[in-house]
Amino acid sequence: MNGFTYHEPTTWPAAQDLIAREPDATMLAGGTAFTLLLRQGLIRPTTVVSLRRISGANRILADSHGGLWIGAMATHSTVVRSPEVRRNWPEFADAAATVATLRIRNQATIGGSVAHADPASDVPVMLAALDAQVIVRKPNAAPRVPIDQLFIDTFTTSLAPGEFIESIQIAGRGPNTRAVYLKYTPRSVDDYATVSVAARAEVEEGRLRAPRIFLGAVGGRPMRAMSVEAALGDGTEARAFADAAALVRSDIDPIDDVRGSAEYKREMARVFVERALRTLVA
Amino acid sequence: MIEGDAATSAPAGARTSTDVFATPERRVEGHGKVTGAADFAADIKRDGMLHVAFVGSPYPHALVRRVDVSGARTAPGVRAVLAGADVRPARFGRRLQDWPVLAWDRVRFIGDRVAAVAADTLEHAEAAAALVDVEYEEQPAIFDAEAALADGAPVLHPDAADYAVVARRGEQVKRSPVPHPNLQGHEVHEHGDVAGGFAKAARIFEHTFRVPPVHQAYIEPRAALVWIEGDVTHVVSTNKAPFSLREQMAQTLDLPAESIVVHTPHVGGDFGGKGLSLDEHALVFLARATKQPVRSLLRYADELQISNTRHGAVIHLRTGIDRDGRITAHESRVIFDGGAYAAGKPVNSLMPGDAMLTLAGYHVPAARVEASAVYTNHLPAGHDRAPGQPQNSFAAESHIDLIARELGIDPLDFRERNAIRAGQIDIHGDQWHASEVPRVLATLRREAKWDAPLASSHPSSAQGRGRGVALGVRHVGRGKTSMELTLGPDGSVEVKTGAPDQGGGAHTMIQRVVARELDLGPERVRIEQLDTATSPVDPGVGGSRVTPVHGNAALDGARKIKAALAEGRAAPITVTGTAEQQQHMYGAYAYAIEVELDRETGAFKITDATLVADVGTVINPVAVRGQLEGGFAFGLGQAAMEELVIDDGRVVTANLGDYKIPTIGDVPKLRLVLITDAPGPGPFGAKSVGELANAAITGAVANAVANAGARVYSLPITAEKVFAELHQGHSPA
Repeated sequence: MNGFTYHEPTTWPAAQDLIAREPDATMLAGGTAFTLLLRQGLIRPTTVVSLRRISGANRILADSHGGLWIGAMATHSTVVRSPEVRRNWPEFADAAATVATLRIRNQATIGGSVAHADPASDVPVMLAALDAQVIVRKPNAAPRVPIDQLFIDTFTTSLAPGEFIESIQIAGRGPNTRAVYLKYTPRSVDDYATVSVAARAEVEEGRLRAPRIFLGAVGGRPMRAMSVEAALGDGTEARAFADAAALVRSDIDPIDDVRGSAEYKREMARVFVERALRTLVA
Repeated sequence: MIEGDAATSAPAGARTSTDVFATPERRVEGHGKVTGAADFAADIKRDGMLHVAFVGSPYPHALVRRVDVSGARTAPGVRAVLAGADVRPARFGRRLQDWPVLAWDRVRFIGDRVAAVAADTLEHAEAAAALVDVEYEEQPAIFDAEAALADGAPVLHPDAADYAVVARRGEQVKRSPVPHPNLQGHEVHEHGDVAGGFAKAARIFEHTFRVPPVHQAYIEPRAALVWIEGDVTHVVSTNKAPFSLREQMAQTLDLPAESIVVHTPHVGGDFGGKGLSLDEHALVFLARATKQPVRSLLRYADELQISNTRHGAVIHLRTGIDRDGRITAHESRVIFDGGAYAAGKPVNSLMPGDAMLTLAGYHVPAARVEASAVYTNHLPAGHDRAPGQPQNSFAAESHIDLIARELGIDPLDFRERNAIRAGQIDIHGDQWHASEVPRVLATLRREAKWDAPLASSHPSSAQGRGRGVALGVRHVGRGKTSMELTLGPDGSVEVKTGAPDQGGGAHTMIQRVVARELDLGPERVRIEQLDTATSPVDPGVGGSRVTPVHGNAALDGARKIKAALAEGRAAPITVTGTAEQQQHMYGAYAYAIEVELDRETGAFKITDATLVADVGTVINPVAVRGQLEGGFAFGLGQAAMEELVIDDGRVVTANLGDYKIPTIGDVPKLRLVLITDAPGPGPFGAKSVGELANAAITGAVANAVANAGARVYSLPITAEKVFAELHQGHSPA
């Protein structure tokens, strides 16, 4: 492990200034992924800018429409325990609670998880299903990027050098909005998903409208189940779920690894999409 | 006597209510470990200490044509760079010394070391190691143990005739001849009329099982520190058997054993793996070259890629059964993947200790057992908690279950019918003079409510249920040791032992045995661990030996103090407690497991688990419970999730995120029932528990999952394998 210069700015502008001066700097949030990459020799940073001392960067706020504003440096544990999240989007808190172990959740941040863009992570998949917006800091601007557009491929986002995530916004829900996150970890409760499914929809009298379904660990990014969404259409009843869920095989691109063969993951994607749909209307 | 709770109930043989054994123990080393004051090998530092990095082979099998260290030697901070030519012909190993300290002519697995760098910092050492230029000539590699035994297979150790065998108690041991050059060890056992037994069988059953290599997954990676003072070489090691390491290093380095002093501080878990030391040998050469202390810490990624794993195995079993459902004959062939070197195996057979135990706890009137450990181009295999048993137990207990269900006999009835009883002979042809196996099974039937109907599941439901049982036996350890006991003028006792405590509670056990015999409070007995220069010779920790061997030596010492007091001698009194335990005896245990199976995914969870264990007198009630519950969790990992995945010689699961072991959230509640009134050969009737319960859990899980609908013939029993079985329509009765 080689030495590096380490900075801890205390305001967003100070962080931006540092990044402007050191465009090759590595941004450090909770550090759980950073430390693994460093220990395995996969990254050799020369400059590290930690965001841990930026005041207010870990805040979680609720707006008057039931929406959420989650500071990039909020940890998974903060989300799990947040009264605001519990009130407005308890399903998001549940998804954050499936991540790794308590020690990791106490350290790993929501912004870090999104920026790291590990396709097997949990929170990015759920945020994609919830149609979250990412507030990006860049010189002279703070654009909002739909999170689905932020994810490009494994460990790759659309963020340019010098840009970083300040916060993530989730719009409020309607009275009939349902959401669910299912994570399938057949080896150990403390594992990356073999496959995960995040789904949201409007549900009235057992019928499902406007479904939005993403899967984790089955492609280079959170994979949208376009064919399933199209087949479900508007007002689908539960008896059509199995046939619609079977279409997910063509929406994903899993690989063989220690968590299962690609073929098994396709089968499990089908099973868990159907289970997610059933959960939405239950 | 049977207990529900080992931590609070009095063990059998308790004489009084104030008996020291009845009180939950306080660990001798507990305070130091909890406060961080306890030193592990990596905590020990010396002034001027250099740091080491190794250069490993990227090829599973290659000839080393040229090693150019000139770039590394001139790199900043570098004090020494050594290649194979600098250490030749030094090879190391626990029994057979077949592993070159640094390879000089041939590498045999990915990671096999060809050069070592000592530098001022680890960063300097690693940077220089990257500058070592090695020219290899790739050779055909062997990744399949059965293929290694084919005619014309590449011979991985053409120089095997030159390999030294570590002397045993000073006596030179010769390696047994092997019928194929790629065999590490090979044995055939036969007893009874095997052909006749099969001829009179009403049915003959034959199955093949596969078990992958797994890692011990101790929390503390290996660490070593070496410095030389005059003629004396000092070694700080994570090795759990310091005297054995001294013998091995003496052989490797051609030094008198007395000139090597091994210090083993606290050991952070062992599970059989810490008997083999890797870096210590190269460190001696580097310490000589630099005249400075040299230390190395193995990264966990290296632990998983180059240290000694449990052997993967292919196990063929064939058993004849008569009309009454009794075993008439048994035939087995076990092929262990020994990897690139046999160095990790401490026994003369050069196979896992229980390589030949292909049916455990049964009356076997006739048997032919053939076992082999084979050289391949995988990382070297070695010992791992109850060596040989987890592989054989999974195969045998699955095989027994398949037979019972095929015959329409309840699997527990079938085991009771064939359980070994006093006067009968086992798979090795040995007669048992006593057997707790029938009682263990009867107790399991009652405690697990085996005869109560299983909560049934509707056939169309996504959930299936199943129940499985498995039987296991484990020998009580044998061996000899001695330790020094001193009764001080204040009436307290100091015990000096050479045995490390690798976490099992050895020192606390010694303390409590002495306290009980001398009727002292345990806090009045202090344990001091000595290095190999000052301690009496000690075999170290392993082989289920500590309680029956070290415990008896402690008891012998306490009795000698008692006798000296009776003769009127006054403190201080110093005696040597010795023990030699050669009695062949077994502890028996059995599991009953219930699972709930998700038929849509193949995932299952354990909904009920019972373990009945025959443990003899309990000395450390908390540790006994910890060892048995820990053995259960340890075995559960191998049942359901652990596999060191090796792809063309490369370990794919090279971190603990990909190589999963159970967390507490994966371990179901265990109903633990102890049988304590069948005395063992240990002090006050104790037996061994450290390796008692981890093997048979794999078979119990396999049998429960089979009962729920999917028979899996290989470990681990993953959801994907279960799913494949369910959807191929293999639905066993």
